[in-house]
Amino acid sequence: MLTAAKQQGKVLLLSVKYNIMRQMTNRAAFITNITFMILNNATFIIQWMILFHLKEDIGGYHMNDVMVLWGLAASTYGLSHIFFQTAYNLPDLIINGKLDSYLVQPKNVLLGVISSGTNTSAIGDLLYGYLIICIFRFSIVNLLLFTLFSITGALILTAFAILTGSLSFWIVKGDMISGNLHSVLLHFSTYPDGIFKGIIRLLLYTLIPVGLIIYLPVKMILRFDPFTLLLLLGFTVLIIFLAFFVFYKGLRRYSSSNLMSARI
Amino acid sequence: MKAIQVKNLSKTFKVKVKEKGFRGSMSSIIKPRYKSILAVDNISFEVEQGEILAFIGPNGAGKSTTIKMLTGILYPNNGEVSVMNINPCAKRKQLAYKIGTVFGQKEQLWTHLTPYDNFKFFGAIYDLADTVIEERINELKKTFELEEFINTPVRNLSLGQRIRCEIVASLIHKPEVLFLDEPTIGLDPVVKENIRELIKKMNREYQTTVFLTSHDVGDIEKLCKRIIIVNHGRIVLDDSMEHLKYHYLNKKIVEVKMKETVDFTAEEGITVLKSKGGNLKLAIDTTKKKINDALRLIDADNMIDINISNVPLENIITEIYRENKVLL
Repeated sequence: MLTAAKQQGKVLLLSVKYNIMRQMTNRAAFITNITFMILNNATFIIQWMILFHLKEDIGGYHMNDVMVLWGLAASTYGLSHIFFQTAYNLPDLIINGKLDSYLVQPKNVLLGVISSGTNTSAIGDLLYGYLIICIFRFSIVNLLLFTLFSITGALILTAFAILTGSLSFWIVKGDMISGNLHSVLLHFSTYPDGIFKGIIRLLLYTLIPVGLIIYLPVKMILRFDPFTLLLLLGFTVLIIFLAFFVFYKGLRRYSSSNLMSARI
Repeated sequence: MKAIQVKNLSKTFKVKVKEKGFRGSMSSIIKPRYKSILAVDNISFEVEQGEILAFIGPNGAGKSTTIKMLTGILYPNNGEVSVMNINPCAKRKQLAYKIGTVFGQKEQLWTHLTPYDNFKFFGAIYDLADTVIEERINELKKTFELEEFINTPVRNLSLGQRIRCEIVASLIHKPEVLFLDEPTIGLDPVVKENIRELIKKMNREYQTTVFLTSHDVGDIEKLCKRIIIVNHGRIVLDDSMEHLKYHYLNKKIVEVKMKETVDFTAEEGITVLKSKGGNLKLAIDTTKKKINDALRLIDADNMIDINISNVPLENIITEIYRENKVLL
């Protein structure tokens, strides 16, 4: 069991390594992608500076708090898209029958699939996140917490992408639902949760788990609470199991296809 | 020992039915309708270890669906499958160590990486130690003559080179059964011949069982001793190649362009399929007239061009299917 997990981990890391090697084939595009993503994220600092100039407190957040929120959102997104980019393309793979090559390998299908692609600009997101935490709220503890929450956030975000992507096993146009839910999640993740009330707030802590990916971790960086940490870790484990369960349940309905395809 | 055992295997796909036009699209949103398509219909067969079997049929006959059920990609609706005594549905990972797959229409290699890096990756997938992977790459590199392009990214390789690499990647873990789904699709005759030689060599040297689907009569004739023909999801013929050749590949098509019109209608064993001026299309029944005897009837001085070919596989399949619903 332990050896199998070790072998699986080795293949996963090798897959990520090869993905990054692919991205580095074009050095100029690789560096430009990363740099521009950092600059792109940085432009939002100006927007928030203007807003905080007009109002000191937005949804219970101050300028530094919003920056932590942005930093965590960027690094969470970055980490997920560096390691598990293909989780976001799951509907395409399911609908167009592109899971075949993973199904004939003696490894976990889901891990093989989701780790088979990477997004270069996501490296920019991850770096931006760490830059922000170092500039606006640097301490060793904060850095460690930031790393931990980036990992839990990336895992929840990926699991959410798998859950919504797996809908395509049952629904032909599941890719639309999956895409919409994912963009809703991303948009909400860069605003203070205090501005959302009632049913929307409930949704953000349940159906669209931005609360557990971003809001609760940010609150814990600002004020640590062990009970919330346990809750967060428990939820992370639960949603990962749920994602595996739903994917494998759906895989029984996989119908493959005879479309020409290439692994690029 | 049996490498593959299939008993009463069936697979049904549910397909959405849509009426034509915009109205059809609207009604399919409100009340979607589905129909079931029986892709594989209650088939049974066995394959011996070390055998090279051709599993052929026209498009949509159920070949790929069967292969996909044998390799654990698809779940059957009914029936039993056992490959090297492993049930592909229940023990997919365990089976993967024993089988190799090449889908001519689907690449398994990472196109941006070199074949060498790809082989290293596939070796790691099959839990092989680095030294073992290196040894295996060196061995296969020589057998499949990859020296020239082993360090060139796959995307820059020709189709023939790529298919060779696909086969090597599928052999890295020394599989006992190799599934080849149209491995020579889109290849030129020279490369096709190379690939066939390599498959034969691999079967001879490693005693690998080969389960081959192809539309190419050459692949089947040159590689396989046994053939299974499927159509509409059912096995319509399961026989030796020798028997098939004797009964069905006994016709040659001769297309000849003459300076003047020639009449062959009276010749026994020759059927004139088309005759327009000096252009003739003849079917030679080789059981009644040897091909060299038929050619002797053609005046070489009067001939401008000639082409001799086998009856297309699709025609044979259609003929078999028309003649016999099930020919077992």
